[in-house]
Order: sequence, then structure tokens, then C-alpha cells
Amino acid sequence: MMQLFRKDRMWTPRPLKSRYDVVIIGAGVHGLATAYYLTKLGITDIAVLDKSYIGAGASARSTAILRANYITAEGIPFFRESLKLYETLSQDLDFNLMFDQMGRLDLGHTDSAVYGLRVRAEFNQMLGVDSSIIGPDEIKDLVPAINLRTGQTLPIMAALYHPPAGTIRHDAVVWAYGRGADHGGAQIHPFTEVTGFLRDGNRVTGVQTPVGPIHAGTVLSATAGWSSTIAAMLGIKIPIVTHPLQAMVTEPLKPFIDKTLSSANLHVYVYQTDRGEVVIGGGVDPYPSYSHRSTLHQMQDLAAHVLEMLPCLREVKVMRQWTGLCDMSPDYAPIMGPLDGIEGFYMTAGWGTWGFKAGPIGGKSMAEFIVTGKTPDLIKHFGLDRFRTGRLVNERAAAPAAAIH
Amino acid sequence: MALTQNGNRLPPRPGEAIDRSHAVSFTYNGRGIRAFAGDTVASALYASGVTILSRSFKYHRPRGLLCAAGRCPNCLVTVDGVPNVRACTTPVREGMAVRSQNAWPSVDTDALNVIDKFDFAMPVGFYYKTFHQPKLMWHIAQPIIRRLGGLGAVDITADPESHYHHDNRHADVAVAGGGPAGLSAAIAAASAGAKVVLVDDQPSLGGHLRFDPSRHADVPGLKAGKGPELAAQLTEAVRASSRIQVIAGTVFGVYQDNLVAVLTRDSVIKLRAKRLIVATGSNEVPHVFENNDLPGVMLSTAAVRLAYLYGVKPGRKAVVACGDDYGYRAALALQGAGVKIAAVVDARGGFPASMSEAQALRDSGVRVLNGYVVIRAEGPKHLSAVSLCHLREGVPLTEELRLDCDLLATSGAFEPAAGLLHQSGGRFAFDEALGEMLPSDLPRGVLVTGEVTGIRDLRANILQGRVAGLDAASSFHVLSYEVRQDLARLRHDLAEALAAYRAHTTRSSPIADMPGKKRFVCFCEDVTVKDVAQAVDEGFADIQSLKRYSTVTMGPCQGKMCHRSFVHLCAAKTGQSVQKTGSTTLRPPLAPVPLGALAGHLHTPIKRTPVDKRSRDMGARMTDLGPWRRAHVFSNPEEEALAIRQRVGIIDVTSLGKLDVRGKDCGALLDKVYTNKMSDLQAGRIRYGLMCADSGTILDDGTVSRLALDHFFVTTTTGNVEAIEEWVRWWTAGTNMCAHVNNVTAAYAAINLAGPKARDTLRKLTDMDISADSFKYMRFGQGHVAGVPAILLRIGFVGETGWEIHFPAEYGEHVWDALLNAGEEFGIIPCGLEAQRILRLEKKHIIVNQDTDSVTTPLEADMEWAVKFDKEDFVGRGGIRAVKERGIRNKVVGFVMRDGLVPEDGDPVVMGGSPIGRVTSSRFSPALRKGVGIAYVPADYAEEGRELLISINGRTEPATVTLKPFYDPEGERLRA
Repeated sequence: MMQLFRKDRMWTPRPLKSRYDVVIIGAGVHGLATAYYLTKLGITDIAVLDKSYIGAGASARSTAILRANYITAEGIPFFRESLKLYETLSQDLDFNLMFDQMGRLDLGHTDSAVYGLRVRAEFNQMLGVDSSIIGPDEIKDLVPAINLRTGQTLPIMAALYHPPAGTIRHDAVVWAYGRGADHGGAQIHPFTEVTGFLRDGNRVTGVQTPVGPIHAGTVLSATAGWSSTIAAMLGIKIPIVTHPLQAMVTEPLKPFIDKTLSSANLHVYVYQTDRGEVVIGGGVDPYPSYSHRSTLHQMQDLAAHVLEMLPCLREVKVMRQWTGLCDMSPDYAPIMGPLDGIEGFYMTAGWGTWGFKAGPIGGKSMAEFIVTGKTPDLIKHFGLDRFRTGRLVNERAAAPAAAIH
Repeated sequence: MALTQNGNRLPPRPGEAIDRSHAVSFTYNGRGIRAFAGDTVASALYASGVTILSRSFKYHRPRGLLCAAGRCPNCLVTVDGVPNVRACTTPVREGMAVRSQNAWPSVDTDALNVIDKFDFAMPVGFYYKTFHQPKLMWHIAQPIIRRLGGLGAVDITADPESHYHHDNRHADVAVAGGGPAGLSAAIAAASAGAKVVLVDDQPSLGGHLRFDPSRHADVPGLKAGKGPELAAQLTEAVRASSRIQVIAGTVFGVYQDNLVAVLTRDSVIKLRAKRLIVATGSNEVPHVFENNDLPGVMLSTAAVRLAYLYGVKPGRKAVVACGDDYGYRAALALQGAGVKIAAVVDARGGFPASMSEAQALRDSGVRVLNGYVVIRAEGPKHLSAVSLCHLREGVPLTEELRLDCDLLATSGAFEPAAGLLHQSGGRFAFDEALGEMLPSDLPRGVLVTGEVTGIRDLRANILQGRVAGLDAASSFHVLSYEVRQDLARLRHDLAEALAAYRAHTTRSSPIADMPGKKRFVCFCEDVTVKDVAQAVDEGFADIQSLKRYSTVTMGPCQGKMCHRSFVHLCAAKTGQSVQKTGSTTLRPPLAPVPLGALAGHLHTPIKRTPVDKRSRDMGARMTDLGPWRRAHVFSNPEEEALAIRQRVGIIDVTSLGKLDVRGKDCGALLDKVYTNKMSDLQAGRIRYGLMCADSGTILDDGTVSRLALDHFFVTTTTGNVEAIEEWVRWWTAGTNMCAHVNNVTAAYAAINLAGPKARDTLRKLTDMDISADSFKYMRFGQGHVAGVPAILLRIGFVGETGWEIHFPAEYGEHVWDALLNAGEEFGIIPCGLEAQRILRLEKKHIIVNQDTDSVTTPLEADMEWAVKFDKEDFVGRGGIRAVKERGIRNKVVGFVMRDGLVPEDGDPVVMGGSPIGRVTSSRFSPALRKGVGIAYVPADYAEEGRELLISINGRTEPATVTLKPFYDPEGERLRA
């Protein structure tokens, strides 16, 4: 309680040095979590650079749904471990991240969608993730406001119920990791854009910024939507395509729903925050773009789709819409590790619409990777080389809309 | 019911918005309220003495009317069950039920106001710093916090009919805002020949002129008069122009390529214009001092609106606080409406002697205090007095004066309503003299005029409007000589007016460091100056982080009340310039928009086959298959399947995608998009076709029939036809081939007639020679069935002798009935989708996207036979070849269960307790009397007779791999 009256600084601006052991590009959840876990492993000479404010980019725009009910034997344990870290993160970082494990329903409206959900339920259970198939009556009990669409097209036939899923205060996660990293000795430098790399043959020796070169033993790129442009600075083309992802939020309402709902068939997901706002999102826009400009079309589509599930929201008003950028990989799984033939450089990318969910474990794994030089077991399937060897992870599998939050 | 009288009404006045001859009554928290037509809910309540309209979000402080313009959060009420409705812009309706929100037991005495006393324990971001140690604490606190959150409540049983629709409009020039500048711009643009659409969100045109009682003499092009008279002149000119269309609505967004989004009462309009003129004026914003949220403290424009539009007396005794000339005008207006002015408090040191309104006020005996600011509002639930202090060189001295009053009208703090400009990608620069961020660089196609430019001078605003209107028109019309002369003159006059305005305008800059507690920056979220300062001290030292941590600008006002103070405060606390501090992002929508309006009518189109009704009449249970309704089961799927195996059955397969491909290169085109070779197919023959993406993964499958050298008939899977049509067209364009693709899916019905008695049945309906020798498997014929022209494909998805009969959809029921009649003697029955799934599974035919996934190539699907590496390059060749070179990891295999057990689709295939694969399809086979299925497993399991372990309901059950079809492995029956 007493800390209420402490006015601790979250982080302290420090002069930028000309050399660090590790330079991390991107002060989002992945960059700052990596910095934090590096300090835990004894590496403290770190600079985290961001071209904008702390937590800008995808982290600021995330709708912060956390879950582990993925589909592949490679993906499920990874996200399971992330969820586990999230469960005690408020205590570990001593910052209330307001993690609400409200539970989540992935709705199935067709035979084939229910089949996809069943695959997930079965795989989840075998790999230690609590999720199961429930029927319309149980769905209605959990979400009294829902319209089961009985007698309509796309009736709600079943749902994948995943009780430990939830939502978190996404900015708080970033800030708490930032504070942890800062207090552990790392430096955070917002508004410091990386414009190029320092090279010595195949070795990256640092980064170029508008305020001068910064040398580094190791450079990590954790830049989500801009990952392909960072790789391009090194002359490497990675199989990442950036797509916009839009979401919107309504005015605050008294609590009326306490589950996150997602429907791949209706292209929409929805939940209510502790403040009472209803957050509504959908799948990525079908076209590649780096623009943060939202579209009317998507706002209209999301509205139409959410009303099919929750018709009681018809007169509820949208307060804002926004757009984030998603670095989509071909198999909807992350790309973590070195790039071909480049030394002293790591990338954590391919975070698409699932990056925030993986923040803690992604950061922890990359920190371990950087310290030991060896690929941690949990991420051994996520190397860039899989696109050459054909060992795709296929998180995109069976249900094409598995990727919808 | 006793109705509360309109106790606070002023005498009637010309130009007022209410119709006193037309009484309207409604209820507020169950109590009857009498109002007039033209009243808003808030004006009627205020007239009836209701001054507390809501409670604040965090501290549950009483809140009253603040902006009276639909911008602030203070008057959010629930109307007829709809939460969060702004009382100040909602017209009264007879019988409407208005309720206050988020207060218990009532807004007047809200028990939760006790939180206000514990504000010391709730500094900015307090929720991040507590309730989390130990972990259990959060589980206790979170539900309570959640219940405290939110404003209005939604009725979850409500499912109202949508009264909203969508509309599209086109214009040469769109004008956002119907104030003096917007109206002038519209009139000028129309006079130069442009087609104009003007959007205004007020009940009548004229903007602030509607409630401006001062007389204006020197306004170019208009006869001298008071505000409402000028508004009437401009409105008349707009109405008189046939080129101007007025939409009563709100522009809530500007999207890419000048797509202007408009919300009206019952629609969302997409307005596309060559030029957009933004004439959205400015928002008056609150002053920041202790208790600045007390009911009785309101914006000067709100007080004047109440008096002049609604004939409601905003207070008995008023203090007007200002920092520019507008305050004197407001004070004079209020005085004119019968409000006693206790004092005008001007933060500027000098009296504006050149200003006639200021002189008139002083002459009437009103006390003018120059160099003073309000530092505190006093009173328990309503204002009873204000405390002032003297400023010396912008620094507040000790408290000096206390004035009794029941109304404090704050003035002189305006912010350009520049949201549309921000959204359109405009850039802004801080104007030191005017103290505002003003548009400096606008994207092509966007013009700006009026008070949104920071100029608040009627003469200048009207000149700006005319110039903008002509500029907009000139960008796509050639202006006449006269108009060009006119434009030059206007520009000259405007330059003079602007220079004069700047020369005599002084504005006080916002004062950051005043004493006092509870100085609210953000009314929506109860954030004070102290909170913002502390957040900066904690490290949130840029506007974006500060916004996210303090939540300022994130509430229902969307920043309209707080943005200006917030930016200035952030600048002061961080020691940066306002320019460098920048702005938060003003995202769409600029005004809250109901989800129902965005959605419009909900259309969920269903595609029904021509025998849909027949099927349902025959007892079919229907199911969704992609966009189509299909008969799922008629009687019993296993019986239906056995009927086809033993006798004959029909299945409605109309939903199959059908493409008609013609042109001299159509063979080459199909070679390109299919993995197998189609160009060497002889006319009259059919080939199975497999289509892959560049990566080699399977996209779709179907049949390809060659009708003629330059004509193919192609079928696709039900859900994929639109995507495949696009895909094939894309490759047609990309390869420059001469081929034409037509989607004829809905034009043809299709019925699959299959079973040992299929030939006997069909023979009764056609003259064609359908004997086994002349109409062979994988051939097609064209002829008549039951008198209807048809294409017959002899194929065997279900594995029996059969024909897929395609014919004009109009004859659907006729052919269906004819087949059933003809087959009656053989025991024919209609069969559903489920029977088809069983039958195809017995034949181990895959269904794309069920038995394959997004990385399955033909090699994994065990269909290498359908890939011809020796033909010209085709889509997917490289991907498939790469997979072939490095070897596959997984493979699609068939499996047979040992006994009657049947796994469900999706059950895992396991090894050592870990999942290694999955069952993709599984059914009980009536023909084999066993469970059979297809599974996706590691490639080394693809061996005839190998054992698989499948987890069924948590129990591991053995199954045996088979690579051949389960039923009729050699295909003798379907060739028969």
C-alpha cells in the first residue's frame, strides 16, 4: 500500500553511450522483456532504442488478449509458458498489470469450424492447456448477452472454452518491463531511431542513429511491423509481410460480459475492459501496408459482425478506432534467432497478431539465446531456416482463421 | 402526474430554437418534466431546476451542464434504455424516459461520492501500484473495480430492429460545418458552378451566429443585423442555391482519398468529394482551477446557448471569467438575457478599451477585474461563490477576492476543432501570438476556413469562407473573369482583415501553476493537474506515454474538453515547447457513432439451391456449407449411404463451384493453374484437377471437362469458387492468355445420381446412349434429361456408377422430381451431405481444407499422381519440387479401426503420450461395418498395415493404416 505514495521514477533518461554489450532495437514488449531478462542473467550493459515513445508500435496498439489455446505441438507449449509467466508477472515486476483471467470462447458456427476447434481442444489438453469444447447451452450460461443465432446462418454450434485466457493492461506490461530493465541497469532511449547498421564483413558491430553510431557486441531487432525493413538494411529478405490490423473501442458501459469472445466465421472478437469499454477487433486487413490510418470499411464491418453476436450493443457508441501493424509470417509462427550468415545479430519477428501473448516467453527465450548462444528448446522450431528446410510450424493450419485473436 | 414547471424560462425572444406553443413532456428518473418542442433534454432539465446531471467516473463528484454542445461527458444519461446519450444535444420527445447513470441511490446524493474523500489514496495510476501483492488481493479487488467502472448500463435482452441504413453521396465540394465560414464557402463554391454538399450537426444552420445577440454592421455581403439575422440571410442564400445540398449530420471521419464519413440520425453516409472544406469552428474548453467541475461552472458559450436558443436562464448572478475579448461579449449577452453580472474577470492586465461591448458593460456598471483569474469555485453541490486572485506578470499572487454567484461562465479558452485536419494528414504549427496549434500544411484536396484556423472574427471568417469556396471550385472549374476579379478582391480584403485581427488581438496564455486542489484537466476520467504533474515526474515525459498513463483524452469527450490544457500542461511540466510537445492522435470517429449506424441493415445472404424447398419438404435437415444451405440428412445418413451402395440415390450438389472457361488458350491456362495436364485432354473427357499455390500447397480440387477444343467446364469446391475464379482470372491476366472465365455456379443446378441402379433410372429419362461401353467412366455427354438440356459427367466421388447432372437451375425441381419418380421402382431415395461424406470417405477421397491444411502439398496428400513435372511451368511447381527434394514430414493416410469404434474429426494421433498427428475425417462405414478415417501423420507411418494410436475421449485406441480406398479399392464398381 505504501508504494502508492512513493513517487519512484519508472526509468531515468541517461546519456547515450557509444558502445553497449547489447543494443535492442524496439522498446515494445519483446524488446523490453528481453532487456529485463538479460539483466536477470547478468548482462546489464544494454541500450533499448525506439524510434518513438516507450511501448509505441504494436505493443501500444495491442488489444492484449492472452491465451495459449493454439493448434500446433510447437506453438502450444510456447504460448503455455508465456501465459504462465504472465500469471505471476504483476508480482514479479511489482506492478499491477491488471491481468484478468476471464476466460475465452472461440465460437464455431460450421462443421468445419467445430472440427478445427476440436483439434485445438484435443491438442491443448494433451499439452497441458486447459481448453475444451462446450455446447450452446453452456455458452449462453457463460455469456447471457450472446445471440446463439439459432435458426440463422452461422448458428453458434459449439465453442472452445479456454478458462485461463484473459486480458491485461498492455501498456502496463511494457512499462513494468521497462522499469525492471532500467532498474536492472539497462538504458532505454526512446525517440532514437536506428537508420542503419555498422558492419565488419558478416558481423554486425552496431547501429547507426541520427545522433551517431552506437557500437554493440550483439544487436537484437524486436521491431514487429518493421522487421522486414530492418532486415532489408542488412540486405536480407525475410518472409515477412506487414499487414494492418484494426480495432475499436466503445464508450464505457457497466459490466455486461466477462468473457472474451472470438468468432472466426464472423471475423470478430470482443471483450469488455475493467473500465467498461467494449473492445472490438477482427482479422488483419487483406492487403500489405505500413500505414497506421484506419478505414471506415473495417469499422463498419466490425460493427456489423459484433452485432450479429451481441445485438444488445446496437445503440452503443464507438469512441475510437486504431490500426496496428502486424509482421505476418507464412506459417503464422514467429521467427526467432540469427539471420543467415550474419553474426552478432538476432531477430525476433513474425509476431503477427499473436506477439503480445508471447511477450514474456519471447523475451526470456531471446535473452537466454543471446547469453548462451544456443537455441533454447522451446523456440528451436522457430528459426528462419525452417523456410529452407520446409519444417514449417503451421500455426495457420486447418482453421484458416485460427489467427484471429 | 404533476409536471415540474419551467421555472427558469426567460421571456420569448425571436430566433430561439424552442416552440413555446408546442408542449412536450417526458420523465426524468420517473419524475414528469414539461418542455417545449425544440428543447434538448438538458435544456428542459435545466429549466426545471435540475442542475446535477451525472456523477464523475472516478470520484463520483456531482457534474452539471458544461458545454451544452454535445462534447463533454457531463450530461450522459440513459434514454429509453440506451446508455450514454448526451442530454444536451438530444431533442425532447413526448413520453421519453430519461434516467441518470452511474450513481447510487441517485445523482443528487450518490453514496459513492465518499471516494472523493480518499483521493489522496488514488493518485494517478494508483491501480498499477496496489492490489497485486499478494496475488489473491487482485482476485478480490478486481471484481469490485470492474463493478465501479463503466457509465450507463446496457440491457442485454434488447434486440431492437435496426433503423439505420447506409448511403453514398458525391459532390464537387464537401463542406463540414454550417457556421458563417462554412455557409459562406458553400455559397461561394456553388456560385462558381460547383455541386456542394454541406454537413452541419446543429438543428439549424448558422453556427454561433444563432446565439450571438450582438449587432454586426461591417460584414461583407450581408445586411447589418444581430447574429440570428445574419444566420437567416446566409441560410436563405444556401436554400436558394440549387447546387447546395444540406445534410443534417456529423462528419466523424476523413479517410483515405477524401472519403468523408457522415453520421445522421438514421444512417452513415459515405460522402466522396473532390474537395473538402473543413469549417468546423472551435471548441470552447474549460479553465483549470480548483473545483472547476462544480455544477454552476460552465463554458460561456453554454450559458449563452441556454439563454438564447432555449430561453433558459443559466443563473441568477454570474461571474464571467475570460482571457480574451469574447468574454465581454458573452457577459453582455448574458446581461441582455436578464442575468445579473457580478463581475467580468479578465486574466489580461489591460481593459480592452477599443471594444464596444467592453465599454457598454462597464458603462452599465458591471465590475471589470483586469489581471485576475478564478482560482476556486465554492459550494457543496452547486456553485455559490468564486475566489479570485490577482496576477502579476502571469504569476498568481495570494487570494484576494471572493464573489458570490450561482453561475461562472468561463470564456477565452478555445481550441480549433481540427480533428478532421489531423485525420486527413494535415500538419500543425504553434502560433505564439494566438497561443494555438494551427494548421500549417494540408494534404491535397483539403481546405480550411473559419475559426478552426484560430481566427475568431466574423468579418474575417466570412471572407475566409468565400475565398475557400472559390479556391475549391477553381481547382476543377475554370472561373469566369468576373469571379476571378471577385476572388482577387476577396483575398485582398481578407489579408487586411487578418492583419487587423492579429494587430488588436491579445489572449492570455494558460496558466500552469495555480494553487489549489482538484483542478481537473480531464472531466471524463477525473484527472487533475497534480496527477498529470506526478505522471511526468514518474517518467511519462512525452505526450503519448503521458496520455496512456494518465488516461487524459481517452474518455467519452475524446479529448475535446481536455486536449488543449493537457498539451500545455505537458509542455510546462516537461519544459518543452508546445510545438515539440505535439499532440495526441485524434482518431476517428470524431464523435461517438452507434455500432448500429456503422453496421446499417444486417444482411446475411444465404444461397439456396433450386431444390432447397423440395428438400425441406421431404424432411431434410439443412446445414451451412460455405455460403450455401445444403441438405444435411433426409432420414438416416447410414441408410442413405447404403441406398447408394446397394440401389440408387440422388444428392443435390448444386453448391459445387462451376466455371466456364473458353478461348484459344484455355488449355494452356488450365495447364498453368492445375498441377496436372489439361491441354492434352480430348474433347468429351474429364480429368480430376488439383490446384496449388506458389508454395505448392493445395488450394482446391475439382473436375475439368473438355467440351470443345476451346471450351472447358470446370468444377471447384463449394466454398472456394469465388477465390478460384479470381485466382484463374489473375493468372489469365498475368500470362496474357486468350481465355475467358465465367462463374456459372448459380446458373446450373447439379444432381449426383449414383448407385448400381443409376443407369436404369437415368435410361428412363434420356435418349442418350448411357450404356457402360459407350458412356465410360470419366467421360461426359451433353443431351436431355427429363426434357431438360444437361451436361452429364460420369465421375465417381461416392464410388458407384453415377452421373453428375448439370442443367439450368430453373429446372431444378422438375429434374429432381423426375429422377425420384424414375427411380422409385429401384428404391431411390434422396441423400444428404452427411451420406456423401461417408461415401467419399469409404473411397478415401480427400476434401480440401478438411483433410489438408494450409501447408499440405500434393505429396503430403499422397496425390503425386496428379502432378506432372514434365509439362510447362505451372503454379506451385517450384514449391512441390522443393518439398520433393527434401522429403515430406507428414502424410495423409487412411486408417481402419479394429472394431465399431469411431474417432471424432480432430482427435489426436499419439505416440508416447504426445500428439504427433490428427484425425482429419472419420466415420462409421456402413459398407465395412467399421470405423474408418483419414489422418494426418508423420510420413513414416504411411505404410500399409502399420499401427496408429488414436486418443479417443482420453483413451488410446489402435487403428491400422491403409493406403488404398477402404471400399472397392480397384474402382470396379464405379467403372461398371
